[in-house]
Amino acid sequence: MTERSEGTDRQGTRRLWPRGLRARLVVAFVLVTVLGAAAAAWSSAGSASSALVTSTQQRLTETIAGQIGAITPQLTYPPDQVALDRLRAAVGAETLVTYQNLRSSDGTAAGLVTDALRTAVRTKHRLVTQRIIADGRPWLLVGTPVTITAPNGARTPSGIEVYSVRDLSGVEQQIEGLARSAAGTAALALPLAVVLALLAAGSVLRPVRELRDTARRLAAGDLDARSPPQGADELAELTVTVNEMAESVQASMAAMQRMQADARRFAADVSHELRTPLSTLTAVVEVLATTTGGMEADARESARMAITETHRLVRLVDDLMEVSRFDAGTAQLRVEEVEVTRAVRDCLRARGWLDRVELVAPQEVSLRLDRRRLDVIVANLVGNALRHGEPPVRVRVSASSEQVRVEVTDSGPGLPEHVSPHVFDRFYKADAARTRTPGSGLGLAIALENARLHDGDLTAGNADGGGARFVLCLPRELEDR
Amino acid sequence: MKPIWPVIAALLLAGCGVQPSGVTDGGKAPSGVAPGVTLYFVDARGELRPQLRRTGHLGTISEAMSLLLWGPGDSGLRTQITSNKTTPQVVVATAPGVIQLMVPLSIHEVTPLGIDQIVCTALGVHVQGGGSRSTKVQVRFTLHTPESDKKRACPVIR
Repeated sequence: MTERSEGTDRQGTRRLWPRGLRARLVVAFVLVTVLGAAAAAWSSAGSASSALVTSTQQRLTETIAGQIGAITPQLTYPPDQVALDRLRAAVGAETLVTYQNLRSSDGTAAGLVTDALRTAVRTKHRLVTQRIIADGRPWLLVGTPVTITAPNGARTPSGIEVYSVRDLSGVEQQIEGLARSAAGTAALALPLAVVLALLAAGSVLRPVRELRDTARRLAAGDLDARSPPQGADELAELTVTVNEMAESVQASMAAMQRMQADARRFAADVSHELRTPLSTLTAVVEVLATTTGGMEADARESARMAITETHRLVRLVDDLMEVSRFDAGTAQLRVEEVEVTRAVRDCLRARGWLDRVELVAPQEVSLRLDRRRLDVIVANLVGNALRHGEPPVRVRVSASSEQVRVEVTDSGPGLPEHVSPHVFDRFYKADAARTRTPGSGLGLAIALENARLHDGDLTAGNADGGGARFVLCLPRELEDR
Repeated sequence: MKPIWPVIAALLLAGCGVQPSGVTDGGKAPSGVAPGVTLYFVDARGELRPQLRRTGHLGTISEAMSLLLWGPGDSGLRTQITSNKTTPQVVVATAPGVIQLMVPLSIHEVTPLGIDQIVCTALGVHVQGGGSRSTKVQVRFTLHTPESDKKRACPVIR
C-alpha cells in the first residue's frame, strides 16, 4: 500500500517537472523566453496605453474647455434656460449644465457623474476629471465650474457648472490592439525558443550520450571503447577522464592477464619438466620395491615411504598437468554413448571400493559423455568421501528428462560452514593441522572442471542426515563440439 | 512553478485596458460669463475710470470697441477719442501674446489717454474672457505712424 502511494507520488512529480535533461532544458528555455517576452510586452503595452489614455484625456479636456470658453462671452449672465441650453449644445452630447435651480441635460450623462466629481468642482473651482468604468465601458468624466473673471484678474465662481461625459471605448480598443500585437510577438518567439532549446539540448546531450555508450561498452567488457573529446568544456574534460580511466583499467587488466598466463605456463612447464625425471624415479622405485625383502626393518620402512611418496608425486604431477590443460583451454572431450550406472560401478570396482560404497541406481541411464572424465569425477568424489567422511558412503544415480544426477553422500559430520565455499579451490585444506593427506589437493578442482566441460555442474553441501553431499549434474543434451 | 502563471496573467491584465481613476485636476476652469462689458472712460480729474455697461453678456472685443467709440453717454464721464459717430467698426486680430486692433482713427484723433482707453477696454474683455493679463495690445491707426507699431499695456490692469 505504502509502496504504491510512493509510486504515484513519484509519477506526479515526474508529470510536473520532467526528468529528462532535454525536456528540462526545453522547459527552462521556453519559460525564460516567454517570461522575458511577456515582461517586455507587458511593460511596453502598459506604458503605451497609459500614454494613450493621458493624451486622449488631455485632448478631450482641452476641447471641452475651449468649447466652453468660446461660447461664454456670448451668454447672458445671470443665465436663463436658453443660455444654459446654448452652452450645453456648444459642449456637445452627453453634457449636463446646471445653474442654481436650472439644469440643462442631454443623454444619460447626469447618471454617471459621481458625487466626488461634483464635490471637487464646487470646492476647487477648477476643471477636474475622473475615469470610471460603467456598464463595462470606460468613461471620462469632465466637470468644471464657469468662473467670472474681473478685469483685474480676480476670479469668482459664476454658479454655472458643466459636466460632460466622454466614451473611452475607442482608446480601450486601441490598447487591446496593442496588447494583442504584443502577445502575438511573444507567441512568435515561442517556437523559435523551442527550436533553440532543442539545438542547445542536442549540443549538450550528444557528448553525454556518447559518454554513456562508451561507459556501457566498458562495463560490458570492451576495454577498447573510447569516446573522442570534443571542444574544451567540462564535458570534454569528463570524456578525457573517462578515457584515462579506461586506459588504466585496460593496462592493469592486461598486466593481470599476462601474469596469470605466466603463472599457468610456469605450472604447466614445471609439471612437464618434472615428468621425465619422475618416470626414471618411478622405474628405480619399482626396482627398489622388488628388493625390499632382503632389507632390514628400518631400511624396508624407508623404502616403502619412498615408494609411496614417489607414487604420490607422480599423481600430483599428473593432476597438475590436467589442471594446466583446463587452464589453457586445451582439454578435449571424447564423447561416446555411456551407460552411467555401469560406468560408475566400473569405476568403483577398478579401485576396489565396491564393498565400502553403497551404489543406488534404480534404472539404467544412458548418456553421451566422456567416459574417462566421468571416471575421474566419480573417483575423486568417492575418494574424497572415503578419506574425509565416515562410512557408509552412498553413490546414487538418478535421471530426469533434462539431466542426470550423481550424488555422493557420506555419513560424517558434514562440511563446516566456512569450508563449503572453498572445497573446489586448488590445494585447499579444510583442516590446517592435517596436511599430510594422500590426495593431491587438486581432485575436487579437477572434478569441477570436468563437470563444467560437460556443460554440467558440481555442487557441495550437506545431506539432511548430516553428512557431506556432492551432487554432479550432467545435462541430457550435450552439444557436440 | 505553479503560482507564477496567475501572477503573470494579473500583471498582463493590469497593463491592459483603461483603468478607473480618482478625481484629478484638469487645469483652469473656463471663464467668460459676465453681466456686462467694462468700458474705460476718463473722469473729471483726467484719470481712467471703468464703467460697467450692462449688456447682459461679455461679448467680443470688437463689440466693446464699438461701444467705447460710441462714447460714454450721459454718465458724467468723458472720452478722449474723437469719433464721427458713424458706424465705427474695429477689426480685431489676435496673435500669440498680442491683440491687434485696427481702429478707424488717425493718430491725431486720439490723445495718449484715449489710446489707453482703447487698450484697457480691449485688454479687459480679453482678461474677462479667460485671457492672460500680460497680453500686449497693438493699436493700428489709419494713417501711417510709428505709434501703430507700439505694443502697449494698460496702466490700470496689472
